[in-house]
Amino acid sequence: MGKLRQIAIYGKGGIGKSTTTQNLTAGLATELGKEILVVGCDPKADSTRLLLGGLHQKTVLDTVRDNRQGITLENLVKTGFSGIRCVESGGPEPGVGCAGRGIITSIDMLENLGAYTDDLDYVFYDVLGDVVCGGFAMPIREGKAKEIYIVASGEMMALYAANNISRGVAKYASRGDVRLGGIICNSRNVDHELDLLRAFAKALGTRLIYFVPRNNVVQHAEIHRQTVIQYRPESGQAEEYRRLAREIDDNDMFVVPTPISQDELENLLLDYGMMELDDDYRI
Amino acid sequence: MARVLDQPRYKCALGAMNTVQSIEGAIPILHSGPGCAGKLSGFAGSSGKFSPNLFPCTSVSEREVVFGGMDKLRDTIDNALKVMDAGLFVVLTGCTSELIGDDVGEVVSEFRDAPKPVVYSSTPGFKGNNYEGHGWVLKSIFEQYLPAKSAAPEKRKGLVNVFAGPPQTDPYWHGNLRELETLISALGLTPNTIFGYGRGISALDRVPEAEFNVLVSPWVGLDALTFISKRYDTPLLHYPVLPVGAFESTKFLKAVGEFAGVSDAKVKAVTDEYEREYYYFIERYADMFLEMRIISKRFAVIGDAQYALALTKFLVNDLGMFPTPAYITDRTPEQYQPLIREEFKKLNYGIEADVDFLTDGYEIHERVKKEDFGGFPLIIGGSWDKALSNELHGNYVNLINPIIEKLIINSSIAGYSGGLKMLEEIYTAGLSRLIL
Repeated sequence: MGKLRQIAIYGKGGIGKSTTTQNLTAGLATELGKEILVVGCDPKADSTRLLLGGLHQKTVLDTVRDNRQGITLENLVKTGFSGIRCVESGGPEPGVGCAGRGIITSIDMLENLGAYTDDLDYVFYDVLGDVVCGGFAMPIREGKAKEIYIVASGEMMALYAANNISRGVAKYASRGDVRLGGIICNSRNVDHELDLLRAFAKALGTRLIYFVPRNNVVQHAEIHRQTVIQYRPESGQAEEYRRLAREIDDNDMFVVPTPISQDELENLLLDYGMMELDDDYRI
Repeated sequence: MARVLDQPRYKCALGAMNTVQSIEGAIPILHSGPGCAGKLSGFAGSSGKFSPNLFPCTSVSEREVVFGGMDKLRDTIDNALKVMDAGLFVVLTGCTSELIGDDVGEVVSEFRDAPKPVVYSSTPGFKGNNYEGHGWVLKSIFEQYLPAKSAAPEKRKGLVNVFAGPPQTDPYWHGNLRELETLISALGLTPNTIFGYGRGISALDRVPEAEFNVLVSPWVGLDALTFISKRYDTPLLHYPVLPVGAFESTKFLKAVGEFAGVSDAKVKAVTDEYEREYYYFIERYADMFLEMRIISKRFAVIGDAQYALALTKFLVNDLGMFPTPAYITDRTPEQYQPLIREEFKKLNYGIEADVDFLTDGYEIHERVKKEDFGGFPLIIGGSWDKALSNELHGNYVNLINPIIEKLIINSSIAGYSGGLKMLEEIYTAGLSRLIL
């Protein structure tokens, strides 16, 4: 067991943060034998579904909602695939309350309950969408996650969100030791996606740490409530996730990101984002 | 850079719960944390129906912040309706419930068929202070409690709605309102006020019946009064100066008389009689006013726009004193500042007073200390200014919020009698230096 690494995964909503995080952690556990805690920071509480083979039944904030006393970690932490421990923050119904505050409350509670035990190698925070308010930045505040990975694709809005998130990271990096560990591309088969993402990562002062190709087996595994590594361990896609896990485990490039302007972002897309259109071009 | 606000002279907008508490039979329901309620409730009195420390509060905690506080608000209103014998419930929001975005209007609308009316007003402290909050609460009550124009009762001849400073924030609110009523009654009109003893909800119900509205205030409550004036198509006389002493009181009566179409002869008869009485007393004590050298001829006034303006007018016009810059501490919104500055230029003998809109007590005190008063100055302000006055060997008169070392029940500084009361206050401050 080495030093505990706390990692937060950000990215545009729907980009595949939860899928990537769960497959990545499955890779770290099966391939490298790591002890891992995954903290889902999304009110929908569906960040650990593939590891647990279904939705987590008791979120941290459920205990606040029910005014329950005497909560223990055993009530909240469930062990899933390959010994990965899973906890969900939970949060309010859509349209009411403050989900951001919910994440702050939940992470505070986990700390107070002693969720971060000495035997852990990794804690992963899977955070909802953009860093919209202070609550969603909780995992990267002082003393929490020091490594950030942003999941993106070659689509403009994904890059826009990633750039925006790196602004938040830069802000926190300026007064603490949180750093950007890299960009993970969850491919959408966009034109020149690999080159575009490399150029984008370079512009932010970081690197494209891994390019995860698109493969329908991911969807099949999700339908079966499993990670690809559990569902089709022999598949090429499972190997991709294992490689991603090794890249993350070996990573030693942590930077204060240099967010780019809207114009620079648009120029990148003009340079890389469009293939010559043929007459019969179809999506 | 963050600045420290030294010696604040206002509370947050939720402090406008005092406005509700000053309507007999009305009660505020706070949708806020328990700390807000604890800090804002005081012992400064209320309309009398309920103790000022007795009001429902949702006491929102972490649970409500994360999951929303609407259920708790619904329960609180529901239970308040069961156990509080109030005629009007006014839900007021604090910062917490506003930040998390609770839809208070939606919850309150569920009580439209409740046995007693329930209305709400948005009063988070981050939006403004209790001076602004007073206006918001007043407007919300008018808007949600009073009937639409089509359902409004018929106008009653000679009935006039009268509003002045924010109750309780204005320490002389009760007495001043009664005095304004007396003045307006003398013109043969019937004043209608909603705050204080014996007024309350039945007076509130009469608001749409008035022929016109009078707002005696530089800016506080102007939006609310403009609203009812438009809704019921009743003219508004916005009179920015609280009349204190003979000069301003006569001017005020003339303005109201002209606005209401009272004959000049009638107005003159009223003002003449008031002035005869006023100057009878002035003459009896004229020697003291002329001979006493303890109080310098220059004065400083530190307070909200209503008091700073009213007292400056009185001290210059009636007492022949000379102003140093007036310090206005209520965070007057910018759009009203030019009107107020203008009023400070309309003083007798061609005198004009400068105005500084400043909220920082330290800064104000530093500036006052630099003035040359040519003697022991008259310092009129609130309890924060006592130490300043001591430092300057001043004659200290505390009349303006916040006041902690003085009990004010129902006395008044408005009108002709209010001018005499002011003289008592000022010369008592001077005389109290004498030693037998």
